[in-house]
Amino acid sequence: MSTAQFLAEGAATPADFVAARQQMAFTLGFHIVLASIGIGLPALTLLAEWRSLRTGDRVYAELARRWMKAAGVLFAVGAVSGTVLSFEMGTLWPGFMDKYGQVFGGAFALEGIAFFIEAIFMGIYLYGWDRLSPRAHFLTGIPVVVAGVLSATFVVTVNSWMNQPRGFNLVNGKVTDVSPLKAMLNPATPTEATHLILASLMVCGFLVASVYAVALLRDARAGRVDRYHRLGFAIPFTLGAVCAPLQVIVGDFASRFVAGHQPAKFAAMEGIEHTQAGVPFKFATIEIPNMLSLMVKFDAHATLRGMDSIPADARPPAEVVKTSFEIMITLGMFLLALAAWWGFAWFVRRRALGRAGRLASRVDLPWKPWFLRLALTAGGAAILAMEAGWTTTEVGRQPWIVYGVMRTTEAVNPSSNLRYGLYAVLAVYAVLAAATISVLRRIRRRPDADASLSGPVPVGSAR
Amino acid sequence: MSHADVALGLIVLGLSAYLLFGGADFGAGLWHLFARRRTDREVIEHAMGPLWEANHVWLIFVMVMTWTAFPPIFASVMTAHWVPLSLAALGIVARGSTFVFAKAVPDHHVRYGVVFGVSSLLTPFCFGAVATVITTGDGSWLSPAGLYGGALTTALCAYLAAVYLIWDARRLADADAALRFRGYALMSGIVVGVLALPGAALIDVRSPLIIVSAVAGLVSLVLVARQRLLAVRATGALAVVSVLWGAVERAGLDLDGAAAQDTVLEFVFVALGIGAVILVPSMVWLFVLFQRSTEAEAH
Repeated sequence: MSTAQFLAEGAATPADFVAARQQMAFTLGFHIVLASIGIGLPALTLLAEWRSLRTGDRVYAELARRWMKAAGVLFAVGAVSGTVLSFEMGTLWPGFMDKYGQVFGGAFALEGIAFFIEAIFMGIYLYGWDRLSPRAHFLTGIPVVVAGVLSATFVVTVNSWMNQPRGFNLVNGKVTDVSPLKAMLNPATPTEATHLILASLMVCGFLVASVYAVALLRDARAGRVDRYHRLGFAIPFTLGAVCAPLQVIVGDFASRFVAGHQPAKFAAMEGIEHTQAGVPFKFATIEIPNMLSLMVKFDAHATLRGMDSIPADARPPAEVVKTSFEIMITLGMFLLALAAWWGFAWFVRRRALGRAGRLASRVDLPWKPWFLRLALTAGGAAILAMEAGWTTTEVGRQPWIVYGVMRTTEAVNPSSNLRYGLYAVLAVYAVLAAATISVLRRIRRRPDADASLSGPVPVGSAR
Repeated sequence: MSHADVALGLIVLGLSAYLLFGGADFGAGLWHLFARRRTDREVIEHAMGPLWEANHVWLIFVMVMTWTAFPPIFASVMTAHWVPLSLAALGIVARGSTFVFAKAVPDHHVRYGVVFGVSSLLTPFCFGAVATVITTGDGSWLSPAGLYGGALTTALCAYLAAVYLIWDARRLADADAALRFRGYALMSGIVVGVLALPGAALIDVRSPLIIVSAVAGLVSLVLVARQRLLAVRATGALAVVSVLWGAVERAGLDLDGAAAQDTVLEFVFVALGIGAVILVPSMVWLFVLFQRSTEAEAH
C-alpha cells in the first residue's frame, strides 16, 4: 500500500495527532539541550587545553580533562537521541517525508557528513589523550568544534526551510524542479542558524558555570577560595556573557524577519489581535504607545498585521506562542543583566590591575554571594529560554508543517496507537535523563580528582 | 546505470557497513549478556571502545539516503513498521547510553550490564524482522517470517561478533578468552547455518548469493578451527553480508517510480564524494590509533 493511500484512508485521531506532536516536541527538546552542550563543551575544553599548553598551568589541564570526560558522555547520549529523531521523522511524519524528503534531504546528507566527522574526531580526541602529543591532541579537537557548528547549521536549514520553503515547484500536487541548495539557502537560514548557535553556546556556558557556582558558594562557606572552581566558573561564564548581547542583536533581526515573512507567527508572538497602525509595545503591565511599530518598521505609525488578517483555520495557538516568547525575552534579559555585571566587574578590575594583570588574578572581583546565587540559576534559565524560543518558532508555524504549503495534519502517521509511542518514549527518556545526571554527578565527585591536583598533570599524560 | 541504481548501491553499502560493524557491536552485546567470565566481558568492552559512535552514523546515513533518494519507500516502510522501528530506536538509546555510562563510571557496571545486553538483542531483532517482512512482502513483523528474520539477524550478529572477538582477545594477550570466543564462533556459526539454509528454501530465495553465503560460512568454520584469525574476519563478513544482499535482490523494489529527481541525487553524490575525502583518512586514523594499545588501558 502506498503512503498516499495509507494517509488518505485514515487520519490519526486528534489524540494521536497531539501525541505525535508532543513526542516530537519532547524528543527534540531533550536533544536540543544535549546538542547545545555538544557544540559548547568541546569549545570550552579546547579553550582550557589551549591555556594549559600556553601556561603549563595544571589547573587548566584538569579542567580540560574533566570537561572532555563530560563532553564524551553527553556526546554519546546526544548521538543516540539524535538517532531517535531521524526515526521519528518517518514514524511520526511520513506524509511530510514522502512528499518533501527529497527537497531537504541534501541538507541532511551534509549534516550526516559533518556529524560523522565530529564523531570520528571526538573518538580521536577522547582516545588520543594518552596516545598523541599534547599539541597534536589539541589540534584534533578543532574539527570537533567546527564540525559541530556546521552540523547544527545544516540541521537548522531544514527547520528554516519549513518556515520559508524554497527550492521546488508544485505541479498538480507533485514536487518538481528541486534545488537542494536553494532550499538550504532560504531567507530564514541566516538568522535562525546564528540565533540557535549563540543559544547553544549560552546554554553550555551558563550551565557549566552553574555547576561551579555551587562549588564556589560551598567554598565561600568553608572560608577558602579554590582557584580550580574559580576558573571553572570564569571560562564558561565569560563564553555565555559574550554571547548574550550578540544574541539580543540577532534576536532583534530574527523577530523583524518573522514580522516580514510570517505575519501569523509574529501576531501571535506580540499578541496583536487587529491589524492596526502605530502598534504599542506591551510587556506584562508595561505599555508604550507606538513602540512596537517603531521597533519593527522604524516608523512609529507603521501598520502591523494582526491575527484577524489570518484565516481562522490558519492561525497558530496564540497564547502558547505569546507566553513562550515572553518567557524567552524575560530570561534573555536576565542573562544579559548578569553578563553586563560580569563585564563591568571585569572592566573595573582590569583598570585597577593595569595591563599586566593576568586573567587568573583578574577574575577575583565579582565573587559576591548574591552574584553567585543568581549565576547558579543562569544555566537553567538559559535552557528554559532556548526551549521557549524553540516553542515560539515551532508552535508559531502551526498549523503548517511546511509554512503555507503542507498542514501538520496531512503529515502525521495515520496509526491510531501513536500515543503508546509517546508513553514509551517518555518512560525511556525519564530513565535516560536520571541516569545521565547521576553519571555526571559521579564524574564530578571522582575521589582521585583532588589527588591529581597535587601532582603535575601535563595534558597528554595518562591518569 | 541510472542515478537511482547508484543511490541504491550506496544505501546497500551503508547497510552492509552497519550490519558488519554495528551488527558486530550488537552481537558483542549479546555475548556480554551471556558471558559468565569477567575477562570475556572486559575483552568485549575493550573491543567496542571508540567505534560504536561511528557505527550509528551508518544507520543515520542509510535513513537519510533512503528518505532523500526514495522518499515514498521510506515513508511507507516507516508508516507500516513504526512499532518495531520505534522499539529498535529505543533499543539504540538504551544500549548506547548504558555502554558509555558503564565506561564513565566503572563501579556501576553491573547495574547497566543487563539493560545493555537486552537492548543489544532487541534492536537487531526488530531490524531483522522489518527487513524480512519488506523482503517477503508479509504483513507484520510478528508474522512467522518476521520472527524468523529477527532471530536470524540476531544470530548473524552474534556470529560476526564472536568471529571478530577471537582476534581482539588474542590482541589483548588473553589466550583463554580467545579460546572461548573461538568456541562461541563455531557454535553460533553452526546455529546460523542451520537457521539460514532451510529458511532460504522456505522463503523461496533463488539467488547464487545463497551459495556464496553458505560456502563463505563453511570456509569460515574451517578457518576458525585452524586459527586463521584475520582471514576468517573476511569470510565471516562475506557469509553475513551476502544474506543482506540476497534480501535486497529478493525485495524487488520499484526504484525508478520512487526515486528523487536527478538534481537531488547529484547533489547528494557530490556531497558524499567530498565528505569521503575527509572521512576515509580520519576513520583510518581512528582505527590505527585505537589498535595502538597503551599501558594506561591495558588493564
